[in-house]
Amino acid sequence: MAMTIADLDLHGVSDALARRDVTSVQATEEYLGRIERHDSVLRAYITVMADHALARAKAADAEAERGRRRGPLHGVPIAVKDLIAVAGVRMTSGSQLFADHVATRDAFVTRRLYDAGAVILGKLAMHEWAFGRPATEGSFPTGRNPWDVRRAPAGSSSGSAVAAAAGLCAGALGSDTGGSIRGPASMTGLVGHKPTYGLVSRSGVLAMCWSLDHVGPMTRGVWDSAALLQTIAGADPDDTTTRSAKVQDYLSGLETGARGLRLGVLRRFYVEYPQLDDEVRAAALQAFDVLASEGATLGDVDAPSLDLSMAAWAPFLAETYEYHAQNLRTRPEGYRESLRPRLYMGALFSGADYLRAQRLRERFRREVAALFDRVDLLVFPGQMTPAVRFEDFPMTGLAPASLRFTAPWNLLGLPAVTVPCGFTRGGLPVSIQIVGRPFDDAAVLRLARAYERLTDWHARRPDPAGWRL
Amino acid sequence: MTDDRRAQFEAECRAAGLTLSARDRELLYDMWVDWLPQRDRLRAEVPTPEEEPWR
Repeated sequence: MAMTIADLDLHGVSDALARRDVTSVQATEEYLGRIERHDSVLRAYITVMADHALARAKAADAEAERGRRRGPLHGVPIAVKDLIAVAGVRMTSGSQLFADHVATRDAFVTRRLYDAGAVILGKLAMHEWAFGRPATEGSFPTGRNPWDVRRAPAGSSSGSAVAAAAGLCAGALGSDTGGSIRGPASMTGLVGHKPTYGLVSRSGVLAMCWSLDHVGPMTRGVWDSAALLQTIAGADPDDTTTRSAKVQDYLSGLETGARGLRLGVLRRFYVEYPQLDDEVRAAALQAFDVLASEGATLGDVDAPSLDLSMAAWAPFLAETYEYHAQNLRTRPEGYRESLRPRLYMGALFSGADYLRAQRLRERFRREVAALFDRVDLLVFPGQMTPAVRFEDFPMTGLAPASLRFTAPWNLLGLPAVTVPCGFTRGGLPVSIQIVGRPFDDAAVLRLARAYERLTDWHARRPDPAGWRL
Repeated sequence: MTDDRRAQFEAECRAAGLTLSARDRELLYDMWVDWLPQRDRLRAEVPTPEEEPWR
């Protein structure tokens, strides 16, 4: 079968555009065609911005004709989670309450994407308010996993994962408060990057929890994530947490390899966790061996506060409750029944709980900072299990056990990337996770790329023949 | 024990000013009970004076 634009990663699409093998309009039309053909099953998109995208693509082509190429995203069709504002386009956050809400201005990251010449194809499905559960029915279905459409892609950036993995866009942006980029990226064979807190602005992005929200890339390859991060990172006066953003060059050091890197394996808390799936564990351990064979030094490390990290994460849901309190009082029926109790839980943490969590967070920070005196990066399995069937997804409880693999790193705001490291016998993707020092996202991407180039997991594609119900 | 727990839950809901449907109240109660061990762990930890809140 002939290779098409949609089979490529973002890097490949960018190169094809740069070589003029294809125009941005042609690439955009191909993605729009695939969305038309497949999204009735995959349900990755809430809003497809076809006219808008084609107009941007035409403008990108016209610029290219004049010899101007703004950078690697010039003319590249991407898509964004439906909590990221695009002026004049509805922004639902996967919620009935916002079904008709239209953003009046672009989010900071949207402006950055447009300034870089990117084409935005549409707004992607997500779990309701970034905290709901998977849904196959109703006004806002959350998407089906392209590796097995009977399974959930996890969330909350579910549509971002589905679209990028299925070739319904060249790459996507998601958001991550407890694992919402890294979880779905792991379940769909993508690279998922939660950047350092304060590196990427959230202005124009609907909140789940201000202290822990991050915006970041979800892509088929590491280069793709680096290119997207390069575009969206940086200080924004409208988000004061970015005041001290330290932007690095994320692309130039990517091919430096793993030699000489000291890697700390969080064995006790993650590798030896009894609920960790055996196939995920085996694939992660193999990946660590690959990195060692490339000249990285691996040794076990530990941070005792990991044991308290979920207890310390949950009180931040007071922020989520505060965000929704008025609507919960006046329009509770506007939320799905599976989400409401999780939101109400935020009201049952006290001010003292919140501050205790902040103090334990500081303890955790010190422990991990001490680890970074001895190692350059932390590594561990990227997820607890492979993607589960919709009927097996935990629908009760405040936070699933799997959150321990991701949420602690939101508490610390450290850069964290998941990268595919294999497939189960049943053909489902699995990942490892890499965590680095604050604002050293380049090191995290470097190691991810060092692993990626030694393997071909990232080059595998789900088969569209399976995209039927 | 269960009665005490239920009374504590109701008191916390009142203190938080929550107005809940009967269905939401039951769902929330189950979730709250399920999370209590974690909350108790949080409250049992005693940070040192040097462990000031994250800033």
